[in-house]
Amino acid sequence: MASSGSKDGQLQIKVVLLGAASVGKTCLVSRYVHDRFTSNYQNTIGAAFVSKKIEALGKRVTLNIWDTAGSERYQSMTKMYYRGARAAILCYDLTERTSFDKIRYWVGELQENEQHCRIYLCGTKKDLIDNDTRTRAVPQNEAGIIAQDLRTEHFETSSLTGENVEAVFQRIGEDYVRNMHSYPENQPKQEDDTQQAFHIGKSEEKGTTSSCALGSCFKR
Amino acid sequence: MESILNEEVDPADLKRFELMYNEQVRRGQVSEKAKFEYAWCLVRSKYIDDMKEGVALLEDLFKRASDDGARRDYLYYMSVGYTRIKEYPQALKYVKALLKIEPGNHQALQLEKFINKKMTKEGIMGMAIVGGAALALGGLVSLGIALAKK
Ligand SMILES: Nc1nc2c(ncn2[C@@H]2O[C@H](COP(=O)(O)OP(=O)(O)OP(=O)(O)O)[C@@H](O)[C@H]2O)c(=O)[nH]1
Ligand SMILES: [Mg+2]
Repeated sequence: MASSGSKDGQLQIKVVLLGAASVGKTCLVSRYVHDRFTSNYQNTIGAAFVSKKIEALGKRVTLNIWDTAGSERYQSMTKMYYRGARAAILCYDLTERTSFDKIRYWVGELQENEQHCRIYLCGTKKDLIDNDTRTRAVPQNEAGIIAQDLRTEHFETSSLTGENVEAVFQRIGEDYVRNMHSYPENQPKQEDDTQQAFHIGKSEEKGTTSSCALGSCFKR
Repeated sequence: MESILNEEVDPADLKRFELMYNEQVRRGQVSEKAKFEYAWCLVRSKYIDDMKEGVALLEDLFKRASDDGARRDYLYYMSVGYTRIKEYPQALKYVKALLKIEPGNHQALQLEKFINKKMTKEGIMGMAIVGGAALALGGLVSLGIALAKK
């Protein structure tokens, strides 16, 4: 399963990477999943998929990661990849101003269409800046302000050195586990009629809260 | 790889891109973008006829494409389409053509590996069926011989 939910008692989280072409989305994923880095650029066709099992706050979690193509050709199709995502890593290149401006577009899209998707900002290629601070095109506090507005996390990563890469994904896992009961896939399931009647009978003794969860709010 | 191949288009999305495409066809001016988006949805449809139509559109896009970047992407989705249709030799042909344009492309290599695995598996199954038939035939022949000897 490549989406969110739970399977065999394991939590499944759909994570999507968005951002302009060549900002380093594929490298981020391949550093995280395979601990590899390649400097030759192959722009992604459509979207690539990979999953990784991790442990977050004592729970076993599978991250189902969709690495989308930043190329303009795929812009209108990307919507289909972030649908149902619980986390979106919005990547921009710390040395490329235009890639940062693109972030706003994705923030708008996600806020409009995916209320259950948490946003994570990720400035990439930090090693380039560490080598030469003049290459920084996006001040740290500027990204920080957006992150604060969105009440999200802001990371600066390097897929070359591996700095902070693990932290982004680990954070996603932990945030999800911490808030898991707020997601529709983890709400109590609708049961069949006989069971439902039984539960409603029982819950009326206790109060109205659980009968509401069973889809019978009108009983109140 | 399975996730990419099993992923199905939402019928509402297919409808949306179909409308856009048909509108352009009606006006007699179809953009490459609209055609590709529609083909891309078709290839990921639940229905085999849609997949076939998608692959046909991609073949047409490929013939008219002006740059290698676009050509590479059309080849990829043609190969994905034929893999979903289970026409593996065709699928393999297109993924190999892609690898000529961009040797070492990671997504293409994964797809190629998947197709090869499927072909080996079905090849072995095919042989098992042929083998089984030969055994059955052998049985009949020896029965015939046994009867004739009587
Ligand atoms: N120095 C350095 N280079 C990086 C880093 N991350 C990516 N790159 C380089 O940037 C280029 C693009 O990286 P990709 O990961 O393929 O970019 P992408 O965002 O997946 O691009 P699209 O698939 O086209 O959307 C490659 O040449 C990488 O080697 C990094 O952390 N440091
Ligand atoms: Mg990529």
